[in-house]
Amino acid sequence: MSDLCDLVGDMTNGVDAVLLFGPSGSYYERAAGADLPVVVVAQENTVDAEHFVDLPLEFADVSQRIRFGLEGALENELLEEGSTALCAAKTFAEDIDSVVRVRAGEFARSGVYELFADSRAEAHIIRDVLEVAIELGKKGQKGKPVGALFVVGDAGKVMNKSRPLSYNPFEKSHVHVGDPIVNVMLKEFSRLDGAFIISDSGKIVSAYRYLEPSAEGVDIPKGLGARHMAGGAITRDTNAVSIVLSESDGLVRAFSGGQLVLELDPEDY
Amino acid sequence: MVVQLDAVRRLLRRLLTSEVDLFVASVIIVVAVLLGVLVARVLGGLLTDAGVPDEVEGTLFERTAQRLGTSTVKLVSRLSGLFVIAVGTVFALQAAGIVNAGLLTEGLTDLIPRLFIAALVVITGLVVGDKAELVVGERLRSVKLPEANALPLLVKYSVFYIAALVALGQLGVATAALLVLLGAYVFGLVFIGGLAFKEMLSSAAAGIYLVLKEPYTIGDEVVIDGQQGIVQEVDVFVTRIESDGREFVVPNRQVFETGVVRMRN
Repeated sequence: MSDLCDLVGDMTNGVDAVLLFGPSGSYYERAAGADLPVVVVAQENTVDAEHFVDLPLEFADVSQRIRFGLEGALENELLEEGSTALCAAKTFAEDIDSVVRVRAGEFARSGVYELFADSRAEAHIIRDVLEVAIELGKKGQKGKPVGALFVVGDAGKVMNKSRPLSYNPFEKSHVHVGDPIVNVMLKEFSRLDGAFIISDSGKIVSAYRYLEPSAEGVDIPKGLGARHMAGGAITRDTNAVSIVLSESDGLVRAFSGGQLVLELDPEDY
Repeated sequence: MVVQLDAVRRLLRRLLTSEVDLFVASVIIVVAVLLGVLVARVLGGLLTDAGVPDEVEGTLFERTAQRLGTSTVKLVSRLSGLFVIAVGTVFALQAAGIVNAGLLTEGLTDLIPRLFIAALVVITGLVVGDKAELVVGERLRSVKLPEANALPLLVKYSVFYIAALVALGQLGVATAALLVLLGAYVFGLVFIGGLAFKEMLSSAAAGIYLVLKEPYTIGDEVVIDGQQGIVQEVDVFVTRIESDGREFVVPNRQVFETGVVRMRN
């Protein structure tokens, strides 16, 4: 038994900070007593933590959640580059059941935190669009998988770098992502090809847009199709971010600055 | 058995002949008490069904009531029950002829409903005032300014003031001076508010046209008041245009004053 304690004790030795993912109040109190900086990563700061990273989406994948928390903590200078953090998160149970030891800066930064925090559009707009894409990926169009491309933010510039494929069904309408009707509408309009363009404030500006960015020097993984290429390239030409639902593998991917920053499987949500 | 029945019959006869007034009075009292209990029950149920307990949750009045072992809903329904019983009692007293009809009762029948309404108004005022403070405070929570904390208090005391005014008016207390104060307060609010929000209101009026008619839309290149750029956002108050990394936030009022040039190419 003492061997086991030593084994686990090795995990906590020389830790510089503790990251708690969605802790309960009492758990936070106990961790705060450990005389180490404690950072809470959750969707809402329910425990009134001093150091808090706002989690915009409850990532189903724990490694993605931890990555987001670490990048957020690094960005907000709650954590120093190269310091060791102990991450306590929920994997299977309803409360914290797993502990991961990570050295911050050990991995290449994916930019997933910046995707939410530093985009032109607000974090909750990007979260809403991601949720729509996830929803669309889960249900598809009449049971068949669909693809979709959302370009969020910097809408004026994106509009000038694209042309209409058909009449714009959102002209003179004032629909914002997050409105309850949007899920149904987007599902219908996703039948036709082209991109959805969404403004900084979440207004759906247009559907059926053909994006015309210069794809030069855009580095996205091989094997992804024209939709991903267009989605990735437009984020390099403008300050928008794009969220792409793949028709072939059903994954939701987010691009920013021409780079793939996030990959989610809708089936996990 | 027969003897007992006989006694009851004799008692009834006596009550119905020589002391009929007393009998009617006691019947009225019994009916009033029953009705009062019924009203209290039904009203309590109705208020609970209407979600009043959730609405008043967290207000000072409710918390005080809880500490005294009761609740706002209970207080209001019991008060209503008491009111019914009190009215019944006055009628009964009149019917029994115990008090001189016309002297005391006239004052009483007048006073009881007023007292009742005044009490209701005070309770409602306290609850609504507290609730308004909570709601406004909640909305302003993200604004971390010390000045913003004064606003919920202002709203609360305004509601209290009006409730007190109505209650006092019900009781027949002279409220002319308080009314003048209220008038001055409302006038100040409207006048100064109008002055302060003049620009925003005219922007909003212009913005409604811009949003509905969309003379220009996101992605158009426009010149507004000498600033050229691509429209990024049009909302009710402002239009955002951007060029070369510079974003101009133009109040919609300006759009109407100077007009818009749309660049077509």
